[in-house]
Amino acid sequence: MKSLRSVRFAFAAVFAAALLLYLFAGRYPGPGFMKPSLLFSDETARRIFLSIRLPRALGAILLGAVLGGSGAAFQTIFGNPLVDAGFLGVSQGAAFGAAMALVAGSWQPLKTLLSGFALNAFVSLSSFAMALTALGASLALSKRFRFGGQVLRLILAGLAVSAFFSSLLAAVKYVADPLSQLPDIVFWTMGSLTAMGWQRFWTIAPVSIFSLGFLYLMRWRTTLLSLDDEVSRSMGLRPEIERAAIAMVAATGVAAVTAACGIVSWIGLVVPHVARLYAGADGRNSIPLSMAGGAIFALLADGLARTLFPGELPLGIVTALLGALAFSALLASRSTELTK
Amino acid sequence: MKLLEARNLSFAWAARGSMTREPILDDISFRIGEGKKLAILGANGAGKTTLLSLLGGRLAPKTGEVLLDGGSVRGFSPRALARKVAFLPQIERLSFNYKVLEFVLMGRAPHIEALAQPDAGDEAAALGALAELGLESLAGRRAGELSGGEYQLVRIARCLAQEAEILLLDEPTSLLDPANAQRVARELASLASKGKTIIFTTHDMALARSLADTILMIGQRRLLRMGPPSEVLTPEFLEEAFGVEFGIGQVPTAYPSAASR
Repeated sequence: MKSLRSVRFAFAAVFAAALLLYLFAGRYPGPGFMKPSLLFSDETARRIFLSIRLPRALGAILLGAVLGGSGAAFQTIFGNPLVDAGFLGVSQGAAFGAAMALVAGSWQPLKTLLSGFALNAFVSLSSFAMALTALGASLALSKRFRFGGQVLRLILAGLAVSAFFSSLLAAVKYVADPLSQLPDIVFWTMGSLTAMGWQRFWTIAPVSIFSLGFLYLMRWRTTLLSLDDEVSRSMGLRPEIERAAIAMVAATGVAAVTAACGIVSWIGLVVPHVARLYAGADGRNSIPLSMAGGAIFALLADGLARTLFPGELPLGIVTALLGALAFSALLASRSTELTK
Repeated sequence: MKLLEARNLSFAWAARGSMTREPILDDISFRIGEGKKLAILGANGAGKTTLLSLLGGRLAPKTGEVLLDGGSVRGFSPRALARKVAFLPQIERLSFNYKVLEFVLMGRAPHIEALAQPDAGDEAAALGALAELGLESLAGRRAGELSGGEYQLVRIARCLAQEAEILLLDEPTSLLDPANAQRVARELASLASKGKTIIFTTHDMALARSLADTILMIGQRRLLRMGPPSEVLTPEFLEEAFGVEFGIGQVPTAYPSAASR
């Protein structure tokens, strides 16, 4: 473990570099970097910078920070480094909600009612609602089980609820029009920040920032919940209630960003491993660094997604590719810690 | 004087449907004062750990109550109780490889509000707890890299950081070799001499004899005997509790003070 101060400094420096890279790399005026001085002389450059790249960068930061921070919180409260906030059914619920809205949205009466932005908002809202429904179903189902500890019950309930919503998603895909609706559904499940403008940024900001703030304040409490329940209980905690509260707030943040951006996988799983590698497992360090690391990851991945080819790649493909590679490298390097 | 008192304690797991459950413990009463060392002895399944959980307020008795300084332990908030009673289970899984100082610092939980973080004072208390057991040098090590004896002592240090007056320990030496068991026993005795009340379960008669000043033997759901080791640890009483014949053998022991009693 390196000294914490230098780790924090390194994360801050990489974050600043990634943000600058993200803001100034692109295809205007030509492929490559935009000169910062152009912002003062070129109206188009300024407009691209302020109304396209800046909100998209901030959206990427929120997306990554929420996924990384909630992944770290989930791994800590479950004492399990192989979970992330999507596994309580949130991702599959969100995907089903979006798919349903995309199909319903092309129904003529509804289509005339909703147009343009309204359709996007309808998709996000439906996705967010179904993500929360799935989360609630997982929590409620886990309470019906009469065996095992809370962690096992939640993991099994999340598994069942995820499977349930995947089957509903498959059913919607099956009835969707293969020419007009199916591509939209598939594209949504790949995750993307293409539509992230100021309007969409402000729709996810309140929930995301609340979720991040709560997880940040609870960062040490989260660490205590990694102890066996009978131990944390003897220290005056109410582990079941506190774990459920943290899981709920973390998953709600994930539901909000997923509703707006589609399914972006691997950030919540991989980034906390890197944070723990550099800062140790104590949530006081690993949670803030996972938020920063998630933001860096999302900026770099989306930077690649939008600049690598003339047409954009879906962000989810890039994060899955980078995430799988990073995860393999981490596991093979033997620096990953797993004591249970 | 601080006092922990069990009054007519009975316990049975909740019945389901028409099935009623046999009580595990029935009508157990005793009291123990500050700085005392109480060993709870009994066969497997006799209810030692259950009794420990009742004393710590983590289980509700079917009848009777546990009084701490005159008030029922079930009446304390979890936080308030954790400032008075610390509990150490026999086995504790470690999910992540925390640094020893981070691990001991977690014992400060009952002194810190839910949304707050430990401050410099808490860190000093955690270091002080380590120092009390002579473990300062371990502060920067990883808990997962410690020996069994060191890990057990570090867990006890975490209880000390909690600043509880009463320590409930479930078989504190059962997984340790003689050298480490002796070290743990020595530290527990020293903590008791500083006023901590130590209550532990064990199957190790030599440990019970050398460390405890009072033995509480349970069997057949009842309190069989309670008294000083010399009076309770006799072949007759042990046979009653464990159902096998006991003899006094000449076996070397890691607790030489036991032999001199």
